[in-house]
Amino acid sequence: MVRISSSLVLVVALVSAPCRAVWPNPKAMTTGSTFLQLSPSFTINLAVTSPPSDLTAAVARTKGFLATDKLERLVPGRGSADSAKITAAKQLARLTVSLASGSAVTSISSEAVKALGSRVEAYNLTVPADGSDATLKAQTSLGLLRGLTTFEQLWHTLGNATYTTSAPIAIQDAPAFPYRGFMLDTARNFFPVADIKRTLDAMSWVKMNVLHWHVVDSQSFPLVIPGFEELSTQGAYSPTKIYSVADVQDITSYAAARGIDVIVEIDSPGHMSVISKSHPTLMACVEATPWSNFAAEPPAGQLRMASDDAISFANAMFKAAASIVPSKYFSTGGDEVNSNCYTQDTVTQAALKSKNLTFEQALSNFVSGTHKSLATAGKTPVVWEEMVLDHTITLPNTTVVLVWQSSTNAAAVAKKGFQLVHAPSDFFYLDCGAGEWLGNDIGNSWCDPFKTWQKMYSFQPFQNLTTAQHSLVLGGQNLLWAEQSDASNLDSIAWPRSAASAEIFWTGANQPNGVPRNSTEALPRLHDIRFRMVQRGVKAIALQPEYCALQPSKCT
Amino acid sequence: MIFTSTHIALAVVAGSFPVSAVSLWPVPASLTTGSTILRLAPDFTIALSVSNAPRDLVDAVIRTESHIWNDKHRLMVVDRGASHSAAIAKAPLLPQLNVQLVVRQPVLSIAEETSKEMEKRSEEYTLTVPADGRAALLVANSTLGLLRGLTTFEQLWYTLGPDIYTPSAPVTIHDKPAFPYRGFMLDTARNFYSVEDLKRTFDAMSMVKMSAFHWHVADSQSFPVEVEGYPEIAQKGAYDQELIYTVTDIKDLTAYAAERGIDIIMEIDTPGHSGAIGKAYPEHVACPESRPWGGYAAEPPSGQLRIASPDTVDFTSKMFTALASKMPGKYFSTGGDEVNINCYNQDEATQQQLKATNKTLDEALNTFVQATHTALARQGKIPVVWEEMALSYKVNLFYQTIVMIWISSQSAASVLEKGHRIVQAPSDYLYLDCGAGMWLGTSIGGSWCDPFKSWQRVYDYKPLAGIPEKHKSKVLGGQTCLWSEQSDPANLDSIVWPRTAALAEVLWSPENLLHNSSSALARLHDIRYRMVQRGIRAIALQPHWCAVRPGLCDAGA
Repeated sequence: MVRISSSLVLVVALVSAPCRAVWPNPKAMTTGSTFLQLSPSFTINLAVTSPPSDLTAAVARTKGFLATDKLERLVPGRGSADSAKITAAKQLARLTVSLASGSAVTSISSEAVKALGSRVEAYNLTVPADGSDATLKAQTSLGLLRGLTTFEQLWHTLGNATYTTSAPIAIQDAPAFPYRGFMLDTARNFFPVADIKRTLDAMSWVKMNVLHWHVVDSQSFPLVIPGFEELSTQGAYSPTKIYSVADVQDITSYAAARGIDVIVEIDSPGHMSVISKSHPTLMACVEATPWSNFAAEPPAGQLRMASDDAISFANAMFKAAASIVPSKYFSTGGDEVNSNCYTQDTVTQAALKSKNLTFEQALSNFVSGTHKSLATAGKTPVVWEEMVLDHTITLPNTTVVLVWQSSTNAAAVAKKGFQLVHAPSDFFYLDCGAGEWLGNDIGNSWCDPFKTWQKMYSFQPFQNLTTAQHSLVLGGQNLLWAEQSDASNLDSIAWPRSAASAEIFWTGANQPNGVPRNSTEALPRLHDIRFRMVQRGVKAIALQPEYCALQPSKCT
Repeated sequence: MIFTSTHIALAVVAGSFPVSAVSLWPVPASLTTGSTILRLAPDFTIALSVSNAPRDLVDAVIRTESHIWNDKHRLMVVDRGASHSAAIAKAPLLPQLNVQLVVRQPVLSIAEETSKEMEKRSEEYTLTVPADGRAALLVANSTLGLLRGLTTFEQLWYTLGPDIYTPSAPVTIHDKPAFPYRGFMLDTARNFYSVEDLKRTFDAMSMVKMSAFHWHVADSQSFPVEVEGYPEIAQKGAYDQELIYTVTDIKDLTAYAAERGIDIIMEIDTPGHSGAIGKAYPEHVACPESRPWGGYAAEPPSGQLRIASPDTVDFTSKMFTALASKMPGKYFSTGGDEVNINCYNQDEATQQQLKATNKTLDEALNTFVQATHTALARQGKIPVVWEEMALSYKVNLFYQTIVMIWISSQSAASVLEKGHRIVQAPSDYLYLDCGAGMWLGTSIGGSWCDPFKSWQRVYDYKPLAGIPEKHKSKVLGGQTCLWSEQSDPANLDSIVWPRTAALAEVLWSPENLLHNSSSALARLHDIRYRMVQRGIRAIALQPHWCAVRPGLCDAGA
C-alpha cells in the first residue's frame, strides 16, 4: 500500500531496443535486430601468444557466466514469444580475443595498478549477425577484460538457448574517467574477505576500477602491518576479525586480476583512537567524554601529531603499510581533525610550545612527513578535502583530493589546482537515510535523505567547473560508511545503486550520443544488470516491482 | 493458573558483569535475576513432563536444545566474557530443565492453540532457574505458553569456549504478553519471496515471540497464490509459473508458522489492488492497466474488481471461500484500501450495473463487502479490513470485523468509535519500506512516507496513545509492514530485522518497562547478534565498538 502524493508528469517512455542491456553504456555502440544464439560448442579463442594467467582466468570466467547466468530477458513473457526466432537463429561458434598488433603482452593486474590516466581500458567488440566469428580487440589485457565483461551482458537465456536479439553489434568503448570507485569502511564493522571479494566481483561487472579501502578507524584496527602487529592484535574487534598480510595480498591480487586497484586508507591524525590500545602515549583525548567535544562520533582519539614520537611512529607505519599493497596510491585520510582534542591535550600543547609551532604549522609538518614517507615508498598520497580546504598545508598538486562534504566543494578544490575524486555525501553516500545510529536518538541520519539510484545518476561531474578544470576530475566513487552495515546488508545497500556512479564515470557526463543522461533510458538496463547480479549471487535489491522491471514504461 | 505479574522487580546485577548480561527480548513482564554464573551440564536435558505431548511441543523442545548448544553467542561485552573464564569453569552445572503443563484436558498442540481466536490464547509461563545446580522449571497452562518460555530460556545462555553459561542465576520469570496480536505484514505480490524466505522470517518472528503473520499475498502486480478451483488466476496472474504458492506450500507454511506460535492471516486485497485477477478473468476487472495510472490507482498498474457486477461478487466470494478453507486460523483479510472511485466512474460495465440495480457506488461496495465477509463467516473466519472500509465508505461491517490502521497513527480513535477492534499498523511508525526514495523510474523524489523508520522510532511507538480508556481493550496489537516495491529476498532480512523486534517488545512487554531506547539498545544488540548466529541477516545497528559498550554511543555520552 502506498500513497504517491506528488502529481506526476507522465512520460511516454522511449522503449529502447530490448537487448540494450549493457551497463555501463559503451562509448559507441551500434546494434541490429537479428537474433543470434551461441552455438552449443561456442568457444572463446584467446589469440594471444603466452597469455598472462589472469587473462586466461578472465576468459574462463566469461565462459562460465555465459553458461550459468541463465538470465531471461526482462520483458513480459521473458522472451518466450520469440522462441521460434531463437530456435531458428544463426549460431555464433567463436569469439576471437586478440591484442592489437605490436601491443606488449602484459597482465591485467599490472595494468590495473598503473598510475591513473595511464591505464588503457579501451576495446573494440564486433558480433556479426551471420554467425561468423565475433572479435574482441584491445591494446591491453585490461582492455580485453572490459570487452569480455561487455560480451557477457549481450546474452540472455530462453530454455537451453543463449541468445541476443540485436545482432550485428559493434562497440568501440573506452572510459570517460580513469577513477570509478567504491569505498568500504571495514572499521566500524568488520567484513570478511569473502564479502570483499564478492564486492570486487560486482564492481568488475560494471567496470569499476578502484576499491578505496577505509580499513581502520577509531573503533577498530583490523589491518596487520608488518612491524606494527600490535595495532591489530590489540585494536581489532577479535582475533578473527583481522586482515592478515596474506589476506591483503589475496584481496589486492583478486582485485587487480579484475581490473581493480585497491587504495588503502589509514585515516590520520583523526579517526585513530584505537591505536591507544597498543600505543597510549601517542594519542590525545582517548575516549574522552562527552565525545562530541572531541570527535565527530564516538570514540574520540587522535594521534599527537605535534609529538616527535608520534610523528616517527606515523612515518614508519605508513611506510610499512605502503609496502604491502601494489597500488601507486595510498590515502592518509585527514578528515574531521578535531582541534579541541589538541587544545585540551597537555602533551600536544607542550610540544607546540617547545617547537614554537601553531596547530596548523604542526599539522602541516605532520602531513608533509607522512606524505614524504609514502613518496619514498613510491606512493602518491590521497587525502580528504579538509586537508586542502580547511588547513594551511602545503601539498604537491599531484595529491589526489577526495571531495566528500558537499558536491559544491569540488570547485574550491579544483580552484587550488588539485586532482579530485567526486565522493560527495549529498549524492554518493550509501549509508544516508537509515536514521541516526546513536542509541538514544530518534532523529534522522546527518546526511538524510537516502540517496536513490536516480539521485546518484543525476550527478554532473563537471558542475561548477571551468573547461580548463575538467582534466582535474579523475572520476568518482560511492561510499559505504559502516556504522549501520556489515556483511548482513553489504550487497543490498551497495547494489545496484553503485552501478549508477559506475556508468557516470565510465560513460561520461553525457550519453554517448551527446544528450544528457536520463533515468528513463537507464532504468531497463539497470534492472538487467541488477537481475544479472542476483543470478550471480550478489544480493542487489529490487528497484521496483517485477511487474515494472519487465515493463518499466508502465511505472513512470 | 493465574499469574500475578503486575509486581515488577528489575534485576540489580551485581558483580563484574554489566546490566547487559540480562538480555531477554522482549523483556518479560516480571523478571528477577541474580549474579551467579551457572553452566549447562554436558548432559543437560530438557525433560518434558507432559503426557501425550503433542508433536510440535516435542519439536519445540528439540529446537531449544539445538539453539542452546549451537547459537555460539558470546556475551556482548568488550572481551566477550573471556575474563570470566575461570569463574565459568568452576560454576555450578544445571542438569535439567523440567517442562510442565498445568493440564487442561485435552492437551492441545501449539498449532491448535495458535489457531484459536486471539483472546482465547494463553501465552503466559513461569520460568525459574536456580543458581545452585538444582533443576530449572518451566510451567505454563498451554503448550503455546511453554513455547514462549522455551524461547526465553534459550536467550539466557552464552558461549565461552566449550562452556554454555548464564551470568545471571538465579532467574525467576513470570511472563505474558501485553497484546495478543504482535505481527509482521509481508507483501509477496510486488516482488516474490520463496517459501524458504518466509520460513526464515517465521523463525525470526518466533525468536521475539511474535504471534501474527499478515500475508498480503496478492496485488495488482501479481497473484502468486493457487486458488483451488480457480488455478488460472495464479497461472496467468503470477510473475512466473515457478513463482506461485501452491496449496501444498500454504499447508506447509501455515503448519510451520503455527508450530512456532504464529497465526497466518492471509489477505486478498479487494476490490482495489486486484488487477492481476484480470489476466485470467478480464470480465471481473475494471480499468485494467489504464493510463495514466495516476487517474485510476495509487500505483501502477490499475485494476479493480467490478463490485457492481453480481457475477464478480459471486466469483470473489467463491475465491475467498476456496482460500479461507485452506487457512487454519480464525482470521482472513479482504483488504479494502485505496479503492479508486474514478476507475469505476470510467468503467462502462460498472456504470451500467449500477444503473440497472439502481444502486450508488457506496451501496454496491456495501453489497460486495457483505458478500465476501459472509463467505468468510461461513468458513468460520473473522474478517479483517484496512481502515478505509470503516472510515471512508458507507459499508456496514460486522461488528467483529478487525480493522487495520495504516494511513496514520491518528486514525485509530475514529475506528474505535465505530466499535471495531483494531490492529495498529501506522505508516508513520511501522512501515519498514519508507525512506528508500521514490521507486517510480523517473522520479528523484523521496518515498511517500519519508523518513526511514529507525528502530528508535519503532520503539517509541505507543499503541494506546490517544486511545480513550473505554476502547483500550479493543486494541489487539500492531504490526510492522513491508510493502515490497523495493524489496525481495535480497534485502528481506536486512530491512525487517532487527527493527521489527523493536515492535515485538512494545507489544509484549509492560508499558512501564518500555520506550527507553538507551537501556533497550544493549538487549536489542544481543538479540540481533543472536539472529545473525542463526542465519538471519539482521543489520548492524551500530559499530561493533558500540554494541559491546552499552551507553557509550548515546548522544551526549
